Amino acid sequence: MSTNPVLEAARPAARAVPVRRAFQLREWLEREAVFSWLMLTPPLLFLLAFLGYPFCYGVYLSFVRRPVAQPATFVGLGNFVNLWSDSIFWQAVWNTFRFTGAATVLKLVGGLGMALVMHQNFRMKGVTRALLLLPFIVPTVLSTVAWQWILDPGMGMFNRILMYVGLVTQGPSWLGNPTLALVSVILVNTWRGLPFFGITILAGLQTIPTELMETATIDGAGSWQRFRYVTLPLLMPVIFIVTTFSIIFTFFDFQLVYVLTGGGPANATHLMATYAYSISMGGGQMGLGSAAALAMVPMLGLVLVAMSSYVRKA
Amino acid sequence: MARSDCFRGSTSRRDFLKLSVAGAAGATVGADWRLRKASAKPAQITFLRESSYVKEFDDYFKNVLIPRYQQDTGIKLVYEIVAAGGSAVPRLVSIVESKAPVDAGWVQQEWLYREALLDVSDIAEEVGKQQGGWYPEIKSLSVWGGKWKSVPFGNIGQTMVYRRDWFDAAGIHTFPDTWEEFLEAGTKLKKAGHPYGMSMGHGFADNNSWLLPLLWGFGGQVVAKDGKTITLDSAETARAVDYVRKLYKDACIDDCVGWLDPANNKAFLTSQISCTNNAMSILISAKRDLPDMGKVIDHALNPKGPKGRFHSLVPVTHGIFNHTPDPEAAKHFLRWLMDPKQVAAWYRSAFMYHAPFLHAYDRDPEWDKEPRFKPDQRVLETGKLVSWPAPADRKAGEVVNKWIVIDMFAKACTGVPTKAAIADAATGLKQIYG
Repeated sequence: MSTNPVLEAARPAARAVPVRRAFQLREWLEREAVFSWLMLTPPLLFLLAFLGYPFCYGVYLSFVRRPVAQPATFVGLGNFVNLWSDSIFWQAVWNTFRFTGAATVLKLVGGLGMALVMHQNFRMKGVTRALLLLPFIVPTVLSTVAWQWILDPGMGMFNRILMYVGLVTQGPSWLGNPTLALVSVILVNTWRGLPFFGITILAGLQTIPTELMETATIDGAGSWQRFRYVTLPLLMPVIFIVTTFSIIFTFFDFQLVYVLTGGGPANATHLMATYAYSISMGGGQMGLGSAAALAMVPMLGLVLVAMSSYVRKA
Repeated sequence: MARSDCFRGSTSRRDFLKLSVAGAAGATVGADWRLRKASAKPAQITFLRESSYVKEFDDYFKNVLIPRYQQDTGIKLVYEIVAAGGSAVPRLVSIVESKAPVDAGWVQQEWLYREALLDVSDIAEEVGKQQGGWYPEIKSLSVWGGKWKSVPFGNIGQTMVYRRDWFDAAGIHTFPDTWEEFLEAGTKLKKAGHPYGMSMGHGFADNNSWLLPLLWGFGGQVVAKDGKTITLDSAETARAVDYVRKLYKDACIDDCVGWLDPANNKAFLTSQISCTNNAMSILISAKRDLPDMGKVIDHALNPKGPKGRFHSLVPVTHGIFNHTPDPEAAKHFLRWLMDPKQVAAWYRSAFMYHAPFLHAYDRDPEWDKEPRFKPDQRVLETGKLVSWPAPADRKAGEVVNKWIVIDMFAKACTGVPTKAAIADAATGLKQIYG
């Protein structure tokens, strides 16, 4: 700041007022309540625009008959009644539950194993950890196209290996057989989601104090008992969070099935998300498609409520 | 603590807020809103198409037609390409719903959004008169309520694509003329290690292109001409379903029941299958990349059934979205594009991959350059829309997009009894047709 008395004297008296105002504005801005709201407003607006609005619009659409490029007609619960009697919808619901359940269990067990191994000390640990993250990092569409090749019955790596080791003379049709097609999409989802479980549980493992392990060892606990009575209970909060997230992601999974099978063969891999998409974007029935998509929300809600109440009791 | 120390740096909160506001404003101003005045000449026309399986086709548009249009009119032409394989219809639906800045395009499955398309009767009638007239079947798609809602461009011919060398080796020197002969030949070929690969998955062309003609050839129909009466559950349909089950078991590769559209190209070009139903793309790829295989591939019309020979059209039509800010400019572009000076060379650039719906091109010299492509043109003689004999409307579109007929056959191939497979499909149809 200038201390020249000549310059100070030359400053007009009125200049003091805006300085005072600016000072007040700064004070106001720096109040915790004001500043926190200022910081919160952009993300809130963003969420409202890109999450709240589409969701509310989706809810609205689910109560109207609204073909593409045509005005909406209110039908009340008509779309839901329509879905209730739609056998493909129920097949998609059943597939979604089987897909989510199997993939989540596989990811949980596999991820826990992965984390326990990664928690050990061995050479190239850092590189191995980084490589294990790859399935999670590679864009789903890209990795799914690679899986299409891997699962190809004639040229695919899976069947080549099976034939090479002499397990089969002709490999199975992974994406042509309805049961195997569902198994295949579950396997690919598990492959993609495993690192998420592995890394998150590893982070949980690293917060467990070594003293607890040492104490348990001194008390005579074996490695299984240390895992069962020390590691696992302390990991439960992390496992709960990671499983919840995974159920949500898996329940709403779309890309994988869309690219790998398109919901076929004969709807064997159609999930609620892919079916809702095919009704609205393919069939042009925006109302019916929104109802199918919205039906996922209470179903998923029930699963999550049941899961959290089970964990609380446990 | 009144405030966190982390905010006490060289950048104050106010600076941060100013930066944020300035950044947001900058982004807004910089965005291409493409506001245009209807009265002024448009700055550009955006034309959307699904990427072609024949690279030369898109290349010709980009390298020849775009500069020519810009030179002729001074209007910038933007060619927006959507990836092939099922993403075009969702893109078109979202364009219609959000009134996205696209003026014209290949309006796939236009039955979903005809209300959003401009009347182009003047162009279609003028082009038809000038170039030998339109094939009648395409009018069932493009003309709606007495008005042309799109200008037909061409049909992507779907024919039987087969390995002539393997057929010869099995003692089959001419392609089977009937579905029964087709089964007989396939049984021999599968025993020789060269099964057929007939797509039955949730694709969009290669499944309908043989299953619907087969159903029609056996005398089955999904919905009657009135567009209301469901006619699927019939003895003819049952015979077609039984036939497909047997064909799948005795003559096909297991995997084909779940194939999406690119799968049969891949299987054919890797010598896993001896025959499939596809467009020209397999032969074009083989000639380019696998010349030895390219020499032994041939095309044939679909076999005929007791009720005749049928083909399923994969029509390409161009329409104009009625939200275009400058309808006259968009119509001028479409008229210019369909002028023989432009369109004839564009057809030829892709070896007539799009068989023109205009009779003037029936005997175009381009067809003689590769006689194996001729069946792709002859498809137009017996080609029907997927909705046939019902009108190509929204409901028919829903049947296609829910794969109701395709899944009926696929279910039968994976163990569901014929009666149950047909009943499931009929239930699905009832839900759509009420």
